[in-house]
Amino acid sequence: MKVIKAIYNFIVGDMVILIGIALTVTILALINNISTLAPLKGISGPILVIGVLSSLVATLSREAFSLR
Amino acid sequence: MQWVVATAAFFASAVEFVEAFTIVLVVGVTVNWRSALLGALAAAATLALLVATLGVAIVQWVPIDVLRLVIGVLLLLFGLKWLKNAILRYSGLKARHDEEAIYEETRAELRARGEVEASSPRFDLFGFLLSYKSVLLEGLEVAFIVITFGASAASSTVSRSSGIASASLGALLAGLLVILAGALLRVPLAKVPENTLKFVVGIMLTTFGTFWTGEGFGVDWPLSDVFLLILAAIYLCAAFLLITWLKQVKKQQQAPAIENQSAPTIEQTEEVIP
Repeated sequence: MKVIKAIYNFIVGDMVILIGIALTVTILALINNISTLAPLKGISGPILVIGVLSSLVATLSREAFSLR
Repeated sequence: MQWVVATAAFFASAVEFVEAFTIVLVVGVTVNWRSALLGALAAAATLALLVATLGVAIVQWVPIDVLRLVIGVLLLLFGLKWLKNAILRYSGLKARHDEEAIYEETRAELRARGEVEASSPRFDLFGFLLSYKSVLLEGLEVAFIVITFGASAASSTVSRSSGIASASLGALLAGLLVILAGALLRVPLAKVPENTLKFVVGIMLTTFGTFWTGEGFGVDWPLSDVFLLILAAIYLCAAFLLITWLKQVKKQQQAPAIENQSAPTIEQTEEVIP
C-alpha cells in the first residue's frame, strides 16, 4: 500500500487530476472501440484538450475554495 | 540531436537540481564535503543506471503506439501536477519555493542532531545518506522526464535512442550548470526563477502529453507536429486566465478578513473618544 501511495504521489498526487484524466481517456477509448460512437472520432482531439483543461480547472477550483 | 527534447529535459532538470543542490550544500557545510559529494555522486550513478536500463528496455521492447499512449497519459498527469502548483504559486495561493528557508531549516535540523561545522573530514554515513536521498528523489523526476520524453519523441528505434541521448544531454548540461554556479557562489541558488521554470516545464509536459495521448488514440492533429505550438498556446492562455481568476478569488477571500480585523479597531477608538 505504501508503494502504491508513493507512486501515486510521485506521478500525480492529486485525485481530481487523476480522475479527470482517467475519465477523458475512458471516453476516448469508448469512442475508438464502440462502433456506434465512431462518428465522434473526428472530435477526439478537442475532447482530449477539453478533458485536460477541465481537470486543471477542477483541481484549481478545489484548491481555491478549500482555503475559505 | 532533438532540441525540443533536450530543452525540456534541461529546464526540468535545472529546477530539480537546484532543489537537490540546496541539501548537498547544507550537508557539505554542516557535516563535511566528502560525505556530501560522495552521496551526490552515488545518487547520480544510480540515476544514470536507471535511465540506461529502463531507457534501453523501453526502446527495444515496447511498440511506439502503446508507448505514446501510456507515456502521453503519464506526462499529462505529471505535467498537470507541475502546472497546477506553478499556477497556485503565481496567484499567491501557495507559498513559493524558498531555497534559503530550506537551507536554514535543514541546517538547524543537522545542528540539533549534533553535527558540527565541517570540522572532521571523516566519512559520515548520515551526511552521505542525506545527500544521496535528496539527489535521488529530486533526480527521479528528471530520470522520468528523460526516459518518457526521449523515448516518445521519435518514431523509429534509432531515433528513440537518440531521443533519450538528447534528453540525457539536456539533463547533464543542467546538472553541470547548477554544480558550477553552486561551486562558485557557495550559497543556496535562491535567485533561479524556479516557479517560472516549473510553469514552462508544466506547459511543455502537458502539451506533449496531450499530443502523444491523441496520437495513441489515432487522432490526426491538423498541421501535424506544428500543432504542438497551437496546443502550447492554448494551455498558456488558459493558464494566464486561471492565474487572473485565482488572484481575484484570493482578493475576495482576503477582503472579509481585512474588514473583520478593522471593525473592532473602529469600535475601540469610538469607546476611547468620549
